[in-house]
Amino acid sequence: MNHAITLHEITKSYDGFTAVDAFSLEVERGTVFGLLGPNGAGKTTLIKILTTLMRPTLGDAFVEGHSVLTAGKEVRRLIGVVPQENNLDRYLTARENLVLHARLHGMRPAAYNPRIDQLLEMTGLAARQHDFPDTYSGGMQRRLVVARALVHEPRVLFLDEPTTGLDPQSRRSLWDHIRGLRRSMTVFLTTHYMDEADALCDRIMIMDHGTCLADGTAAQLKDAFSRAHTYQVEFRRDADRYQGVLAGLSFVKGVEREGSLFQITLADEESIKPLMDHLCGSDIRRICLKEPSLEDVFISLTGEKVRE
Amino acid sequence: MFKGAFSIWGRDMLVLKRSIISELVSVVAYPLTLYLAFGFGLKGYITDVNGVPYPLFIAPGLISMTAVNAAFDESSWSMWFHRKVQRTIEEYRVTPVTVYDIVIGKIFSGFSQGAVKGTVVFLVILFLTPFRIDYANLPMYLLCIALSSMTFSCLGTICGTVIDKPENIGRVQSVIIVPLIFMAGIFFPLSSYPASILPLIQLLPTTAVFEGARDALLTGTIPTHYLVNLVLSAAFCFAVAVYTFNRKMAE
Repeated sequence: MNHAITLHEITKSYDGFTAVDAFSLEVERGTVFGLLGPNGAGKTTLIKILTTLMRPTLGDAFVEGHSVLTAGKEVRRLIGVVPQENNLDRYLTARENLVLHARLHGMRPAAYNPRIDQLLEMTGLAARQHDFPDTYSGGMQRRLVVARALVHEPRVLFLDEPTTGLDPQSRRSLWDHIRGLRRSMTVFLTTHYMDEADALCDRIMIMDHGTCLADGTAAQLKDAFSRAHTYQVEFRRDADRYQGVLAGLSFVKGVEREGSLFQITLADEESIKPLMDHLCGSDIRRICLKEPSLEDVFISLTGEKVRE
Repeated sequence: MFKGAFSIWGRDMLVLKRSIISELVSVVAYPLTLYLAFGFGLKGYITDVNGVPYPLFIAPGLISMTAVNAAFDESSWSMWFHRKVQRTIEEYRVTPVTVYDIVIGKIFSGFSQGAVKGTVVFLVILFLTPFRIDYANLPMYLLCIALSSMTFSCLGTICGTVIDKPENIGRVQSVIIVPLIFMAGIFFPLSSYPASILPLIQLLPTTAVFEGARDALLTGTIPTHYLVNLVLSAAFCFAVAVYTFNRKMAE
């Protein structure tokens, strides 16, 4: 068995609302898996089921072969969890937060003290280890939560939107830490930042309304949705007139405009020729095929931009 | 077994240790004020109750009140705060500890706070006033305090588990806990009640707490019906607290 995580037909419903619908998944051991989806897609529900905080309505999930339904304690022994919110104990210092976590995992001081020293060094918090978390910046608190999740050397690490609300520098710093974990453990990450998934994940799954919409590496997803029919056209003049022209063309499926720059989505690849027939070549400053980003893939699948 | 409960209790005691002075000042001030106001203020009007000097009559109840109030406060607010504000209960729940570890740890924290604060009020009253006891009676009194603190700690845990809005915890305290305490005869003898309602008053767990404490401290014995009441109340509240917390966490 080479799967760290297996979900088998997981369904979670509450009061008639189905948050996760017959969801199945296998995550290979030692990889970074990213679950992408807008808010309300069901990502956090899945993490809560996998970390035994919530019981599924139907189906079962396994972490390193242990069922979340029948072997919850074993599952919790093997996992580390970084929740969406920094649930640090503000009445304990940073180090005491880590010590309490180690004790809850049944570790002895001889085992946890060197490990905590190592983690505090790794996350750059050693100099502030005797300070209370309230005195930390958001990025430092996040790094402390990650350090806490790693104290007992988990085999599977769950990160629920780990960089939400962080400034760009703190995000990059946290990405570096997560990259450093690759191969040493399985990382299950949820996010709604496309660049984060692109930068960190070996495999990405996009979900919405509790079901899987697409699954693969970032490159595979982009390839699959690269149908060569979105073009960027910049006009030298008459941009307003061309907007009217484009609006009247039946094979133009979408137009987004920023000044004189248009992003034009065509019905199919063959529509490029009739499009060029309707545009006067001398008015065009630049035309290029737009390479799809992960965000384009996401939008084309979920039908909308990230829901906040 | 219960290693997790011990770790959670250890965390709470560490936090208590850090703020022990400010905690004790605020905890001692209230019962001491009551003791001075009622014990000395009314001494000229009420010399004794059933042959017991009035300051001595109210002292055991005030010490017990401090202990049970502290147990209730710590358990209810701590459980609510860790569940709704810090969300540290969620952090505990993704470690190998069980929900039983968490609830037992929290109940014992409340119990310990009650015991520590009750003891300090006892010592302060002993130091500042002519209140004196026969120390041979102390073990029975401590048993009474322990059972009472356990009951109130469990009640606090139940409130902190099921109540989401903090103002509702305050309402439970002012509408249920405080009347139960004051109806139980801290400041007056139960014989003041009309005979028709006295049996009901005697069934209250708080009556067992305060009457039992007074009897224990002054005579060295707890009347059997009060002892049974204290033990059954503690056991029942413990079972309900564990059940309620378990149910809440499964939601």
